[in-house]
Amino acid sequence: MEYKVVMPQLTDTMEEGKIVRWLKKEGDYVKKDEPLVEIESDKAVMEVPSMREGVLVKILAEEGEELPVGQPIAVIETEVEKAKEEVGKPVEVKKEEKPPEKRKEKVEIKVEGIKPPEKIKLPEGSASPSARKLAGELGLNLKELQGKGEIPTPAHEKDIKEYFYKKFFTKSALDILKEYNLDPEDVYKEIGKKKIDKTDLERYIKTKNIPITQKPSDIQSVLIKNLSKSTQIPVYYITHQFDISLILKQEKYTITAYIIKIFGDVMQDHPKIRTVYRNGMFYTYPSSNISVAISVGEELFNPTIKNVETKSLKQVYEDLQNLREKSKEKKLTVEDIQGATFSISNLGMFGIKQFFPVIPPFHSGIAGIGVAVDGIISVSFTFDHRVVNGVQAAQFVIELEKRMKDQKYIKSLK
Amino acid sequence: MLYREALNKALDEMMEKDETVVILGEDVGFYGGNYRVTEGLYAKYGEKRAIDTPIAENSIVGNAIGMAIGGLRPVAEIMTVNFILIAMDQIVNQMAKLRYMSGGKVELPMVVRTPQGVSKQLAAQHSQSLERFFTSTPGLITMVASDATAAYYGLKYAIELDDPVIFLEHELLYPMKMEIQERKDFDPFKADVVKEGKDITVVSYLKMLHDTLQAVSVIEKELGVSVEVINLHSLNPLDMETISKSVKKTGRFVIVTEEPKTGSFAGEIVSKVTEELFYQLDAPPLRICGEDVPTPYNRKLELLSIPTPDKIAKQIIYWGRENGI
Repeated sequence: MEYKVVMPQLTDTMEEGKIVRWLKKEGDYVKKDEPLVEIESDKAVMEVPSMREGVLVKILAEEGEELPVGQPIAVIETEVEKAKEEVGKPVEVKKEEKPPEKRKEKVEIKVEGIKPPEKIKLPEGSASPSARKLAGELGLNLKELQGKGEIPTPAHEKDIKEYFYKKFFTKSALDILKEYNLDPEDVYKEIGKKKIDKTDLERYIKTKNIPITQKPSDIQSVLIKNLSKSTQIPVYYITHQFDISLILKQEKYTITAYIIKIFGDVMQDHPKIRTVYRNGMFYTYPSSNISVAISVGEELFNPTIKNVETKSLKQVYEDLQNLREKSKEKKLTVEDIQGATFSISNLGMFGIKQFFPVIPPFHSGIAGIGVAVDGIISVSFTFDHRVVNGVQAAQFVIELEKRMKDQKYIKSLK
Repeated sequence: MLYREALNKALDEMMEKDETVVILGEDVGFYGGNYRVTEGLYAKYGEKRAIDTPIAENSIVGNAIGMAIGGLRPVAEIMTVNFILIAMDQIVNQMAKLRYMSGGKVELPMVVRTPQGVSKQLAAQHSQSLERFFTSTPGLITMVASDATAAYYGLKYAIELDDPVIFLEHELLYPMKMEIQERKDFDPFKADVVKEGKDITVVSYLKMLHDTLQAVSVIEKELGVSVEVINLHSLNPLDMETISKSVKKTGRFVIVTEEPKTGSFAGEIVSKVTEELFYQLDAPPLRICGEDVPTPYNRKLELLSIPTPDKIAKQIIYWGRENGI
């Protein structure tokens, strides 16, 4: 009979144990209660005796290994004759065998069974200390209002506030208070009117020049954080005029799509443009992955078009459209915004001639594309000097220019 | 890292830095501690600095007091708080009093470390939480270590103090995996707001802090409120400043402890809150504590006798609804 030795539970709180030392080796004969293995529990190292007599045919856990309680660690064959054949042979018990369910007590919390609290019958005038204090400050007669049923008994702070707001502010005025994050009590005291309406509040806000305060959205916060990181990057700028009349003649797709495709192809010959600097290491990626700045309302996204070098112009154009849609619908995934080493931002479509873009963190550079004037566009580059030096950047830019003037190449873009 | 390893690291570093730091207790030397907190220290520092004592708690603490008066910085381990009762005469009549009775001439830089609380089925005599005895004895500092950060920085701080410290740990925390957070400015006399919220203040420590944190999201979802959770590192002195700031914001106070309710430390903290913050309170303070029974051995009954994440959630939700949330 095969007997599986499992990781024993040596203490009441032990969940896993470590094999310190095997006291027997494969092929050894063990008697019942003879020390078999040393195991380290959460409390101490202990000798664990064998529960059966037989031959230790297989050791399943190496010294130093940590295993959950209940996991098989060795096999003992209790029939000695059979054991002779089996010593050292692979045993069916696989290490990958699913460890037994941990006997942890469930922490799942169910709260359905809570009975509703009993209604406390208290005399009018009953209120929490803070509610009573607030009512006093606002000059409300608690007892009287509770008698009329306008405030519940016992009263809590929330009840007093709600009553106070309804009584002294019109509904539209309350909305404005919320919008401007104003404290109703302060406003009430300062305006000093019995019922405050929208006009009163608007006048108050204007005279006091109170701003609307707004927290940036999560995505905006990330953007702000990244922009701050950008200022830590040592950069330099290069501006160059490109003749794109060939592209304008062709124009089957947008200029941005053409530019992304050409940049992606040229990047293949310029490994530095495919390199980013991160935590003291350079990372050079094989693919030409280019991120594109897309603005939606007040938010700015920077999704990535991947493997530009292997894609047709049409595919690049479609990818770009697809990412625009996703940005608008806020459906960009983490996958969509990762992996770029170079970035492109185009303000040419608004008629801007030239601008110097801020480099996103973990990019080798970014290009700012201006509007075409007589077939010429002005492109300004911002490079991370730690990654790309001036000569390497110049070579990249000149190569881009060559490609844009290469009739055969431009025509080949489909 | 495990919680107990954080304690071990603190002891090791202090013993390495200052040769007047010695440890003593039952099995703390050769065996490495019943919960392995002092593992490796005997081998590293020898039998004169990792001292195995007889099973005689009163003399362990008595010896430590003598050592402290004589210029050492002893860290005594009492295997569990249940056995400290034998040593209460030394603790209450000597350890807590000598600094005062000598007019400050005698310094007592000593720590008594001990775990408390319900583990798993160790029965009534081995499952107690006795913080009330120490917090109600003037002259003692009572610290608690609820996580690895408080264990590591807190114990080092306690050893460096020239006053006597009772340092409470919890048996179920020892094998728990947690990391020491970088806290160069760690001050055990300032409580940590471990989770910010604006509607309910919940204070806890040791194992119950972890149970409370598990219950929080359920409470928030069910009551539609946000809960602030405060982790105490010291019970006496108590950081009322942090508690007060929180209660002034929330108007509602809950304390969760494992000890039986009657005469509890939880009762003391509620008194302080009520005295100082009466007019800020929007609901009666709530104590969630152990039941007033000797801890049962039966696992189901044992769990019924102390707060669990489930019970913490249910009690706070019921209390919230009862009091205007």
